[in-house]
Amino acid sequence: MTPMAFDGGHVPSQDIARLVERHQQALRAFLRRACGDWALADDLAQETFLTAWEKIGELGPDANVRAWLCTIGYNKSLTALRSARRARRREADYQDAAPGVGAPHPAEKMALDRAMADLPVEQRAAVALCLAGDFSHAEAAQILALPLGTVKSHVTRGRARLLQALGTADDPA
Amino acid sequence: MIRPDDHLAALFAQDLPPGRDPVFATSVLEAVARRRFQREMVFITAASFVGAAVLAALWPALQPAVNALAQGLAPAGLAIVAAAIVVILASWRPGADLGLR
Repeated sequence: MTPMAFDGGHVPSQDIARLVERHQQALRAFLRRACGDWALADDLAQETFLTAWEKIGELGPDANVRAWLCTIGYNKSLTALRSARRARRREADYQDAAPGVGAPHPAEKMALDRAMADLPVEQRAAVALCLAGDFSHAEAAQILALPLGTVKSHVTRGRARLLQALGTADDPA
Repeated sequence: MIRPDDHLAALFAQDLPPGRDPVFATSVLEAVARRRFQREMVFITAASFVGAAVLAALWPALQPAVNALAQGLAPAGLAIVAAAIVVILASWRPGADLGLR
């Protein structure tokens, strides 16, 4: 993926708008699943785009923009998750934002959310990228700054724990 | 029978934000505009302070020259101000800016 032409900190508004339009869905979905708090995830996504606007000049010509954005977002989510005070403040918003009524399988979705919340942070992020998102293991390794083997292990273990929580039998393969 | 991975994917899909979200995009653009404005204000404020400090430091040396220049240009300055007033009054048309004429 080729990044758009930017001029350091003087990025035209239409380029920022295009960047947001192209990548907001993947970034917000990843952050929602990685931190489990929709309102916080959207705040982090907004901060991620702000940081991207400031640092776009550091991006190489062949850089993977989506992975770069997720790296920024992941680092921000780690900082945010360390702040228990902030997490508590957002909890009420999350209760309002999270879907439940009208969802096809509300009980299963809640079980999945609980199981995701119980996963270690890195494992949860790996699952969010590779199982919930369409990121490759290599992209996830780049985003999470982990070895490829560790990412694969996180995904395998996380998947097993999620299926166990859902009471779903795994494929015999 | 649905595969476990498809089952997981279907459940995860419920978290997926919309592909186009004008509200979110607008909030990002607003935040960028705010950050840009803050940076410009910081730059202008810093430049003003630096300019004021430089002027204060150089003022003892500049003051005699400025005084001499001001005395020399006083008649010309008055003439320019008077001419500007005449031009403004001559071109002033009440209501023109409101599109009434």
